[in-house]
Amino acid sequence: MRMLSRVADRLYWMARYLERAEDTARLTQSYTHLIMDIPEGAEPGWEILVQILDAQPTFGARARAYNEQNVLRFLIADEENFSSISQCIRAARENVRTTRDVLPDEVWEHVNELHLYSQEWAEKSVGRRNRHRFLEQVIGRCQMINGLMMSTLCRDHAYRFIKLGALLERADMTTRVIDVGAGALLGDERHHSSVDPLIWASVLQSLSAMGTYRRTIGPLVEVNEVVDFVFREEALPRSVKFCLNGIRKELLPLKHNREALKVLDRSRRSLSRFHPESSTREELHAFIDAFQANLITLGSVIDETWFSLDKT
Amino acid sequence: MNKSWKSYDTGAFFDELITPAGRPRVVARRAVNLLQSLAEEDMVARREAAELAIREMGISFTIYSEGKNIDRAWPFDIIPRVITSRDWSKVSRGLVQRTRALNCFIDDIYNKQKILSDGIMPADIVLESGNYKPQCAGISPRYGAWAHICGSDLVRDKDGKFYVLEDNLRVPSGVSYMLENREITKRVLPELFENYSIQPVDDYPSKLYSTLASLSPRERRRPCIVVLTPGIYNSAYFEHAFLAQGMGAELVEGSDLFVDEDDCLYMRTVDGPERVDVVYRRIDDDFLDPEAFREDSALGVPGIMRAWKEGNVAIANAPGSGVADDKVVYAFVPDMIRYYLKEEPALASVKTYLCMHEEDRDYVLANLDKLVVKPANESGGYGLMVGPHATKAQRAKFAKLIEANPRNYIAQPTLSLSTAPTYIDNTVAPRHLDLRPFILSGKDTWVTPGGLTRVALVKGSLVVNSSQGGGSKDTWIVERSR
Repeated sequence: MRMLSRVADRLYWMARYLERAEDTARLTQSYTHLIMDIPEGAEPGWEILVQILDAQPTFGARARAYNEQNVLRFLIADEENFSSISQCIRAARENVRTTRDVLPDEVWEHVNELHLYSQEWAEKSVGRRNRHRFLEQVIGRCQMINGLMMSTLCRDHAYRFIKLGALLERADMTTRVIDVGAGALLGDERHHSSVDPLIWASVLQSLSAMGTYRRTIGPLVEVNEVVDFVFREEALPRSVKFCLNGIRKELLPLKHNREALKVLDRSRRSLSRFHPESSTREELHAFIDAFQANLITLGSVIDETWFSLDKT
Repeated sequence: MNKSWKSYDTGAFFDELITPAGRPRVVARRAVNLLQSLAEEDMVARREAAELAIREMGISFTIYSEGKNIDRAWPFDIIPRVITSRDWSKVSRGLVQRTRALNCFIDDIYNKQKILSDGIMPADIVLESGNYKPQCAGISPRYGAWAHICGSDLVRDKDGKFYVLEDNLRVPSGVSYMLENREITKRVLPELFENYSIQPVDDYPSKLYSTLASLSPRERRRPCIVVLTPGIYNSAYFEHAFLAQGMGAELVEGSDLFVDEDDCLYMRTVDGPERVDVVYRRIDDDFLDPEAFREDSALGVPGIMRAWKEGNVAIANAPGSGVADDKVVYAFVPDMIRYYLKEEPALASVKTYLCMHEEDRDYVLANLDKLVVKPANESGGYGLMVGPHATKAQRAKFAKLIEANPRNYIAQPTLSLSTAPTYIDNTVAPRHLDLRPFILSGKDTWVTPGGLTRVALVKGSLVVNSSQGGGSKDTWIVERSR
């Protein structure tokens, strides 16, 4: 089955943007719930959501105060923030619009509907009143689109590049979610141990991993175990390990995959060598930084190997 | 009968569904009766269902406005246009004949030029036209087919007779909307299909595939076919994607393709270069190959003309086909049919006066108030003049223009375009329409059953273009209704 480099590129980004929209919605959803649970005065600020996405410069150009309204508008509906949920959905739709010929009709119809929904509701869902419903809808519709692709797509190159995009984005977002929990969130002076389990539970919830955690590890939510679980539980579909294994599986049947596998194996090795229980928060944060940098390298290698049109 | 039909008046025009006495035509009777029996709320609900389907299916066209590309929903009228299969088979025969003659003409012009040496057409008309591409001389594509996909615009005059208004031989568009219109009608007015046997249209992509596959330079079970699009900002991008998907072909942009040192065309895939056999191109000649035509074109593929001339790739429509898509050449199509096929034209053309001929010119100048005057060459810059609607001053101006440069003007009588009931502002009213069938020529020639009906939504208007407020209708070719 032949696949144009340009089309592979767009499918890969379609999947990345859909995953980013869903993950941002998950993060925002669980964080909103978390804030409602934490006693007044002890709650972490809203700026953390912007920090997780490394979006302070863009935010700074858009708004001054990191209050709930500004941050949520930035994440949900901001047209200048290309990682806002509405812009991710727009970009995903644009990529599907230009690859309709290789996707089942229903994928286009559902992505298009999601876009129409987001256009109508994103701006109106910044406030708490509609926010929950909107985020649920975005998450649910993204899941439906993913499920649709999993159950209809032929297991060929199209499927492979979609999986690669989704898994790479998810691995990246999962490390960012951990980073929230890891002290970047709570300065030492604001540290309330009674609040900690709530935060880590919210991390698990945003990854749909609470139930599995309870069954696998136990009902007590404890920082080292959560970090280890989310990083290294191979059976958990949103764990970093799961994503890396999945990327490897999709890379293997591709031609010219040597360089990409090399970079990927670097990530896999560093993950297996890292031990959360013996690390400080600073070390965890530094590890995540380095890990994300390697994922970015992997993205560039994928781009150069399979998407670049310059070489013949 | 619901109220919205009460004041329907066909006026002096031929109406596709309603007789001058106000009764439905036999072929349309069941459809009209059913539509008239629907409650007004029901009509509104059906129209809304159609609009929703169009939005959900993402049927759109792109227009460029205020510096932005806007993706507009496709304008669609829910009342279908109905034509009997008897009427249609005559039209269809005429279209096949016409397209065969046009292909003979293009092949002749780029090779022996017999029609010119035999004095049937003046040579300078053809060879000095901007549509004549000297780069194509000496080429003889398979089956003598140059214009593989032709979209001819037809209108019906007062007496219901079909006329060809023009032949689009370069990159005619609209066929995807013909298919989607049927799809929408099936969704929103399913009961209309009971008691009718309507010729299906949805095998167009497979017919197109067979036509293109028959052109492949390599004998292969599944030749590699690509649809070459200028990209997402082209107004017909939706159609390009639609057809690529329908044929299981790759939708490519210029940057996806390259010509290698072996003069073969390749596309860049994730597994490496793959050779292409047939290009269904949806970009104009001028942008096709910066080596052969416009150097500044970023849309095309450098060297693709070389690959075509070497016979390593087929291009549809063949470069240079536009030579037969020209207002002056149009006037000679009936002569071409007689010359190449030794047949009488089965489908009427609109009488065309060439101002370069003294006799025609005298007639045009004496009858400016009755004629439409058009510049033969688009770049003329003065636009056209519709005689009956023009002021005295405009007519005087055109008389001067014609006398100064008679070669550059043609004139045609004004036709009364037919109408059909159209649902507008909760009322059913007559609106003017045309019809664009598509003719495929490869190893065989084939005509779509029906075509794309475009309708001018503004009262009295004759402008059917979707970019200027035109809409469209599903078009049915039906066996005699039971």
